[in-house]
Amino acid sequence: MRKRYLDYILAIIIILSLNFFLPRLMPGDPLTAIYGDALLEMSPQLEAQLVERYGLDKSMGEQFIVYLGNLLRGDLGYSYYFNAPVTEVLLEALPWTLLLVGVSLVLSTIIGILIGIESGWRHGSRLDSLLLISIMFLNGIPSFFLGILFLIFFSFEWQLFPLSGAVTPFSDYTGLALFWDIARHMFLPVLTLTLMQVPRNYMLMRNSIISVIREPYILTAQGKGLKEGIIRYRHAARGALLPVITRLGMSIGLMFTGVLFIEIVFAYPGTGHLFYQALQNMDFPVVQGSLFFITVFVLLANFLTDLFIIKIEPRLREDAYQLLDRT
Amino acid sequence: MHINYWTELKRSKFGRTGLAMISILVFLALAAPLIAPYDPWAYVGTPLAPPSGEHLLGLNDIGQDIFSELLYGSRTTLMISSGVAIFSTLISLAFGLAAALWGGLVERVILRLIDIMLIIPVFLIAILVASFFQPGVTTLIILLTCLFWPPGARIIRAQALSIKQKQHLTAASSFGAGKGYLVYRHLLPDLYPIVTVNFIQVIRRAVFMEAGLAFLGVFDPVQKSWGLMLHYASEFIFTGAWKWWLVPTGFMISYTIIAFVLIGYALESALDPRLRRQVYVGH
Repeated sequence: MRKRYLDYILAIIIILSLNFFLPRLMPGDPLTAIYGDALLEMSPQLEAQLVERYGLDKSMGEQFIVYLGNLLRGDLGYSYYFNAPVTEVLLEALPWTLLLVGVSLVLSTIIGILIGIESGWRHGSRLDSLLLISIMFLNGIPSFFLGILFLIFFSFEWQLFPLSGAVTPFSDYTGLALFWDIARHMFLPVLTLTLMQVPRNYMLMRNSIISVIREPYILTAQGKGLKEGIIRYRHAARGALLPVITRLGMSIGLMFTGVLFIEIVFAYPGTGHLFYQALQNMDFPVVQGSLFFITVFVLLANFLTDLFIIKIEPRLREDAYQLLDRT
Repeated sequence: MHINYWTELKRSKFGRTGLAMISILVFLALAAPLIAPYDPWAYVGTPLAPPSGEHLLGLNDIGQDIFSELLYGSRTTLMISSGVAIFSTLISLAFGLAAALWGGLVERVILRLIDIMLIIPVFLIAILVASFFQPGVTTLIILLTCLFWPPGARIIRAQALSIKQKQHLTAASSFGAGKGYLVYRHLLPDLYPIVTVNFIQVIRRAVFMEAGLAFLGVFDPVQKSWGLMLHYASEFIFTGAWKWWLVPTGFMISYTIIAFVLIGYALESALDPRLRRQVYVGH
């Protein structure tokens, strides 16, 4: 496990270096690379202040130390588009992202597991093939395309759901009304994110059930004359659950990437949407900051999963690394 | 593990469907200059004109023929995805085999590198780098290759280690076969199935990634790319144009990914049951 800590530390260092060197490798000076056209509108004093703040007149090594120091103090730079510190802008957006990811994670895990059980238990049946084919098709549709389709039909054509945002602007709902408003706004984003994640859990669960069915303990359960439903859920499903659980961390990682597209499509004010706004306005401190933020969350999720896996199933220690597959 | 891949693929319903779908796509891409009624970069009529006899899918916001754009987009997609798959497979093979055959420090360094790359969220890194460089086809192939090789290298190393234990390899090396001969004559043929599966997975991820990056607008805007088309089309969803602009484009992206998902599934099912359980879904 000590080796594993080292992996994470090195991963963080690589990401930090990318964040640090990318703007500095660009042609021209880093201020232009980071601030672009905004630089033209800045006063010389402000520019001097920035050079001072990031130590841009010093050597690369010193700059890196200044950069790390700023980061440790939670200073990710200053956004000229939003006219606020990057960290502040990000913290405002983060809860919405966490809300989407959290709800979709729970839903996609439950749905994926349930249909995975049904499909795997009836391996080779008509239901199984039907589910398998539809899931494969679903898996092939990029989330941003699916999201736009939902937006066009549900929000635009049939006007069942709001077109954008997380709450109705300038409304002063409280209590139940506020809850209802938030729920209506997050319905389509959550639906898309959930559908995007179901195939993964479904495949894992289906394959796991298929391999568990042949285990002797299932035969024993049948021999004892237990009801089929009890064998399926209490015995087979419980035994087959492990691969899904151990990959939850990876699912969280994938979802933090997926949610980026979904927030953009639905103009949902989370970190992904923030990233996109910043990208379109060439506000690179926020572009870097938001991606860095999401990356750290993904690493954290992966790390916690690693710890968790080793706790519940030492046998999987090797496998856990081998089966990592994420984009 | 001597499986006749081609036969297995053709025997599976999924495999046949996927292969047919890809063949059509490759044909369209190759014949694009012959089929496309217009130059996709040329201004050929009123912007946002709806479909008509002359323009099957209408025109985009700058007066380019959408149908011709779609045909040329298939070239970009196939070029990038196959390029990434070829190069990253070669790197996976080189690193996987080097780790398995040399062992020692080489193996430790390579494995550590792979482990680190596997915990880094690749897509986010790709977006970050792309948002600075606005990559074109070549740059994107290089970028994605750098990010995609690790899972393949890990699997190839594991597989090569287990093949190395087999008796025919011990026999060969006791007769004096060198490393190069062992790799060429014994390891590569035995690794072929697993490399093929990995190849298809990489292609699928690359198609998705290219579309995703272009959709975000961090791709050379001069290229004809489905992701870019979706990017522009999504700005006009409040007009009727989505019916002939956005939907066909999204359909082509999904069509391509689904074709590779089907082929991938057929190949994985043909492989040994242990690998079959690792079936891998998700972008």
